[in-house]
Amino acid sequence: MNPQDMKPQREAWYRSKTFKRFRRNPLAIVGALMLLVFVVVALLAPAITAPQLAEVRTARPCLRDLGLKKTEVVGALRNPLHPKFWRAVIAPPKSCYNIPRDGYSPLPKPPSKKHPLGLSGNSYDILYGLIWGTRTAFFVGFWVMGISLAIGIVIGGLAGFLGGWVDNLLMRVTDVMLAFPSLVFVMIIVSIFGNGITQVMLAIAVVSWASYARLFRGDILKTKAQDFVDAARALGASPLRIFLKHIFPNAIGTLLILASMDIGSVVLSFSGFSFLGLGAPVGYADWGQMTSFARGYILGTAQGTPFDFWYVWIIPTLMIVFFVLAWNLLGDAVRDALDPKS
Amino acid sequence: MLNYIIRRALQIPLVLFVLSLIIVGLMQLLSPQQRAAAFITSDKQIEHLDQIIEKYHLDEGFIVQYKLWAKEVLHGNLGFSRISKEPVTATVRKKLPASTELALSAFIPIVLMGIWLGTLAATHRDGLLDQVLRVVAIIGWSLPTFVVAIWLVAWVYGGLGWFGIGRLPNSLLIDLATGNFHPHTGMFTIDGILNGRLDVTWAALVRLVLPATALVIVVSAGIMRVMRSSMLDELGKDYVRTARAKGLPEGRVVYKHARRNALIPVITMAGPMLGRMIGGIVVIELIFNFPGLGEWAAKAALQLDMNTLLAFVLLIGLIMATVNLLVDIAYVVVDPRIRYE
Repeated sequence: MNPQDMKPQREAWYRSKTFKRFRRNPLAIVGALMLLVFVVVALLAPAITAPQLAEVRTARPCLRDLGLKKTEVVGALRNPLHPKFWRAVIAPPKSCYNIPRDGYSPLPKPPSKKHPLGLSGNSYDILYGLIWGTRTAFFVGFWVMGISLAIGIVIGGLAGFLGGWVDNLLMRVTDVMLAFPSLVFVMIIVSIFGNGITQVMLAIAVVSWASYARLFRGDILKTKAQDFVDAARALGASPLRIFLKHIFPNAIGTLLILASMDIGSVVLSFSGFSFLGLGAPVGYADWGQMTSFARGYILGTAQGTPFDFWYVWIIPTLMIVFFVLAWNLLGDAVRDALDPKS
Repeated sequence: MLNYIIRRALQIPLVLFVLSLIIVGLMQLLSPQQRAAAFITSDKQIEHLDQIIEKYHLDEGFIVQYKLWAKEVLHGNLGFSRISKEPVTATVRKKLPASTELALSAFIPIVLMGIWLGTLAATHRDGLLDQVLRVVAIIGWSLPTFVVAIWLVAWVYGGLGWFGIGRLPNSLLIDLATGNFHPHTGMFTIDGILNGRLDVTWAALVRLVLPATALVIVVSAGIMRVMRSSMLDELGKDYVRTARAKGLPEGRVVYKHARRNALIPVITMAGPMLGRMIGGIVVIELIFNFPGLGEWAAKAALQLDMNTLLAFVLLIGLIMATVNLLVDIAYVVVDPRIRYE
């Protein structure tokens, strides 16, 4: 037998049974479509909110940083041929993430032509906050996921690779981290390092690696027991080589897929922190903060009129729910598809 | 079995040690002055920062500070909680039962409902019921806890005036403090029965309904989904086919044979969940004005009350270790074939 024949036949992923099962799940399609809408909204945020940028005076810093004049904003940001369009889509200046305020009234104002979704308490433009908040959600989700995944892979990998008392210790620490109330930990971090998006993101990442470490360790142990690992050992490969070349690549797939589906829950917990006033600074486009603006208005003005200020809280809440729902629908379908028994 | 339990129990101090090292280590990131400022209760004390630093050895190294704290703890003194203005142990004695009461009042319905609905979803696999349950579960899972809690407070409590928030109405609390009411367990629902004060039990139960409902809405999905997939797993096995082949009624096959075996993954998940719920439902406790551990720890974290935080972390570690041990024992109860060496 020549060596070429021994190469494992690799199946293209889109032809695999797993992907087929995934594709046939209607809920997965719904989730994927919802997510697609969110991606488009996030990318086109400058174009969608161009009128608010042009008309609300407090949006000036963003225009200045983009180098646009008030009169040319809508034309530039809604024209893909304009160079500023791409600048705003790909790397918008930081100042654009501040929700413009139209006036200083503490009372919310209902939707109008100038502010299609109304103004929330303290006159923040709701539409603007929600659209740019989509970008914040993706940003937070991807970064937190990346960092906690990296920690989880290192810890789980070490535990699975070294075994013995290291494994035992690391897994006990993991048990505790799994149980440690993340909110309290994040609060400690915030009170030590100060309030801010970066701090809260790091803190969430530091408390959420545990389940990935455990999952990855389990997959490593499962892979370790397979015949091809024995074969490599019989051929005289060093333990490190066996780990890096044979075990690691085979064990990591499931973890990466399952973890990426957790982005929704990351955004969910981040919005919880924003709601408590940790995280994004006041006025930063972030859904959690938009719901906390609404805190005082859920009951409406007087008894019996709970929907007086519906626009302040229903839409921001729905944004969070739909975003998380999209990821969870996908995640549920992925878990189902990966489950070899179903 | 006993051997195994002892070995697991011996690991607990190790975990607690690592946890307390993390917290003391984190505190070292602050300057001694900043840490001393946390002890201040009035403006006048700012001038005495140096004395505070000296008194609590705040300028010493990490190891010295850890030793000082550990020495006290080994003598049973967890220190004074600045947040609750009393010794830490006294606060824990009050808050732990409160949080446990709330956690259990949500945990029991979550687990029972999860097992029931998970079994239903599995037996009606891919049917209408299964799909509906799946969508409902995913939606519940996608709702932010704080939003559900606020809706319940605003509409059910505020709008309809049903149920209540807090632990007990103030009038009852004063009544209990002055009368001769023995807090045997610290849980008002049980103490009420033990003391023959059913009005207390009733008042406490009524106030548990809303926070427990919020938790059930947000947390149930997990148990239900795990139960469903584990049940499907079992229903596909040979012994189930054998049971059906020998003519057992379907109900008996599902509920007596398969379900018992399907419980193992649910137990694995439910254990840590209970632990997390006892210490970590901060948002629920804050919104429903429920004086529990999570709310206490959150306040301590924001004000860097080290004694409180350390005690809290040790307590959580202990709770988790206990819960994990109980999970291991529950495995044996459900499946007598499981042996530990």
